[in-house]
Amino acid sequence: MERLNPRVRVVWAVGALVTALVLGGIVTGVALFADTSEFPWFTPLYGVGVFLLVGVVGVVFAVLRYRVFRFEVRDDTLFLQRGVVTRVRTVVPYVRVQHVDTQRGPLERLVGLSSVVVYTAGSRGADVSIPGLTPERADELQASLRELAIESEPEDAV
Amino acid sequence: MRLHPFSVPYRVVDRGLRFGWAAVIGVAATSGGAFAEFWPFILAGVVALAVLGLGYEYAYYQRFAYELTGDTLDIDSGVLSRREREIPLRRVQNVDVTRNVLQRALGIATVSVETAGGGSTEAKLECVSAEEAERLQTEIRRLKAGETADAESETAGDVLYELDDRSLLAYSFLSFDPRVASGIAVLFPLLGPVVATLGFGDAVNGFGAALLVVLVGVAVLLLVSALWAASAAVRFVRFYGFRLRREGDDLRYERGLLKRYTGTIPLDKLQSVSLTENVLMRRVGYATLAVETAGYAPGDTPSGGSEAAVPFAPREDAVALARMLEPFEDIAVERPPTRARRRYVGRYSILAGIVAASAFAANAFWSLPYWWLSLLLFPLAVAGGHYRWLHLGHAEGDEYAVTRSGFWSRSTTVVPYYRLQTVIESQSVFQRRWGLASVVYDTAGSRRLAGGDATAHDLSEDTASSLVERAIDRLRATLGRQ
Repeated sequence: MERLNPRVRVVWAVGALVTALVLGGIVTGVALFADTSEFPWFTPLYGVGVFLLVGVVGVVFAVLRYRVFRFEVRDDTLFLQRGVVTRVRTVVPYVRVQHVDTQRGPLERLVGLSSVVVYTAGSRGADVSIPGLTPERADELQASLRELAIESEPEDAV
Repeated sequence: MRLHPFSVPYRVVDRGLRFGWAAVIGVAATSGGAFAEFWPFILAGVVALAVLGLGYEYAYYQRFAYELTGDTLDIDSGVLSRREREIPLRRVQNVDVTRNVLQRALGIATVSVETAGGGSTEAKLECVSAEEAERLQTEIRRLKAGETADAESETAGDVLYELDDRSLLAYSFLSFDPRVASGIAVLFPLLGPVVATLGFGDAVNGFGAALLVVLVGVAVLLLVSALWAASAAVRFVRFYGFRLRREGDDLRYERGLLKRYTGTIPLDKLQSVSLTENVLMRRVGYATLAVETAGYAPGDTPSGGSEAAVPFAPREDAVALARMLEPFEDIAVERPPTRARRRYVGRYSILAGIVAASAFAANAFWSLPYWWLSLLLFPLAVAGGHYRWLHLGHAEGDEYAVTRSGFWSRSTTVVPYYRLQTVIESQSVFQRRWGLASVVYDTAGSRRLAGGDATAHDLSEDTASSLVERAIDRLRATLGRQ
C-alpha cells in the first residue's frame, strides 16, 4: 500500500483555510455593514470565531485525510482507500479504465505535487483520483496504468 | 435529408410560446399593469421578434441537413456557427420520437438520438415527418444490427406488454409521482396567511387548540388527496396506450395521450434491470420494471420516465419479462445481520429524540399545545427501523448481483457482473461502530447520478470485503468468456 506525499496536507489545509477565510469574511462583513441593531451581541468577533472554527476543523480533516488515504497498483485492479467520516474503498479493474489524466492545480504546483485521475465509463468514474503525488511518481503511475489498461483485454466500454 | 418544412412554423410557435410566457410573467410581475398605454410599442416589438424568429428558423431549416450513411448519422447544422457531426451508429443507445399536440396536428415529430455518456442529447432532429421518424428509428436499429435494407426480416415485433385501461387506471392511482409534490411549494404562500389569521395565541387552550389541530388535519388531508389526484392524472396522460415490443435486439415502447412518445431501448447496452414496487403496489402484487442502459436511465430526460420498460405489471409477469431480457438465475435475497436493524432503530430514535426535545423546549418558551404528541415518534422510530431493515437485502449469484432496499418504494436491482465498472465499499462512522459496510456496484448506467446506485446496504464487514473481491473475480471470468 502506497501513501501520499506528506506535503499534500499543506494543499488541503490551505484550501480549508481559504474556505474559512471566505466564510469568516462573510460573517464579519454582515456584522460590520448590515443593520444588526436588533442583535446587539452580533459583533465582527463572530467572524473571527467562524474563521478559527472552520479553519481548525479543516486542518484537522486534512491531517486525518492524509492518514487514511492509501492506494495500491495491484495485478489487475487499482485499489483506493480514503475518507475520514465515511471510509470508502474503491476497486477499479484495469479493463474498465478509459483514460488516465495527470492534473496540477495552482496550489499543487506551488508545493510541487500532482494528481492522477482515472476515468471509467461508470458514473462514479470521476471519484477515482489520487492526489498528492510527486510529479515524477504521477507520470510514472499514469504511464503504468495506461500500460496495464492496454494490456488487459480490449473491450467495448459499456 | 432536410427537416420537414413544417418544422419552421412549429419551431417559431414553440419558441414563441416559451419566450412569450416568460416575458408575460416577467412584465406582469415587474410593472403591475402600467404597460397598457405602451401597447403599440409592445405589439411592434412582438411583431419584430416574430419576423426575426421566422427568418432565423427559416435559415436554420435551410442550413440543417442530416444523412444516414451505412454506419454513421451525419448532421450539418448551424446558422451563425456551423457544426458538422458524425455519430457512429454503433455508439447509439436510444432513439426517441416525441410528438406533442401541436406536432401531431402538423404530422411531424422530434427525433432524439442518445449515445453513452453525457447527459445531453447528441442529436435532435426538430422536426421531421412522422413517417420519417419511424423510418429513422427502424433504419438505425437495422444498421446497428448490421442487417441489410433488403433483408425483409422486418416484422412488427412481438408485443411483450400492453397496458390496458384498467391497469393504467390502477397504476395511476397506486403510484405517486414525486414531481407533483413540488406543487405544494405553490400552496405555501396561500396557506400562510390563513394559518396566521387563525391565531395561535387564542388557540393555546382547550377547545381552540383541538379545533386548530382538526383544521390542520383536514387541510393536510385535502392537500394530499389533491396532489394524489393530480399525480394520477399526470401518470394517466403520460402512460396512456403503453405498448412494449421487441424488435431484434431492441425494445421499443410507445405511450402518451397528449404527447406521444416512442423510443428504443438497446438490449445489448443494458446495464441493469430493476423491479420497483411501492407500498400500495406490493399489496396488490404489481411491480414496475425498469431497464437501465448506458445512454440514460428510466426517468431521465428527454421524455421523463418513458424508458421504464414496463410501468405496471403483475409481479410474476414483470419478473418473467426481466428474465427474458437478462436471464438471471433464481437468487434468494438475504437480509443484513440483525444488528443493522438495531442501528436503524437507534438512528430513527435519535431523530425522534431531537424532535421531542425541540418540542419540549418550544413548550417551555411558548407553551405549545399537545407537545407530548411528539413522543409518539419513538414507537414510529422502532417500527421504521424494523421496516427499513426488513426491506434491505443482497444476493450474489454466479452471473448477477442483486441488491434491494426501500420500504415506501422497494427496488430490487439485478446487476450483471460483466457490466461492473468499479466496485466500491463504503463504511460510515456509524457503520464502523457496528462492524457493517455497504457495497456499491457501479455500472455505466446514468441513473447512478440521481443516487440510484445498486447498493448492498449494511453487510457485515467481512462479507462486504469478500463480496468486492468475488465481484471483481467474476467480472474477470465473465469477460474472459465473452
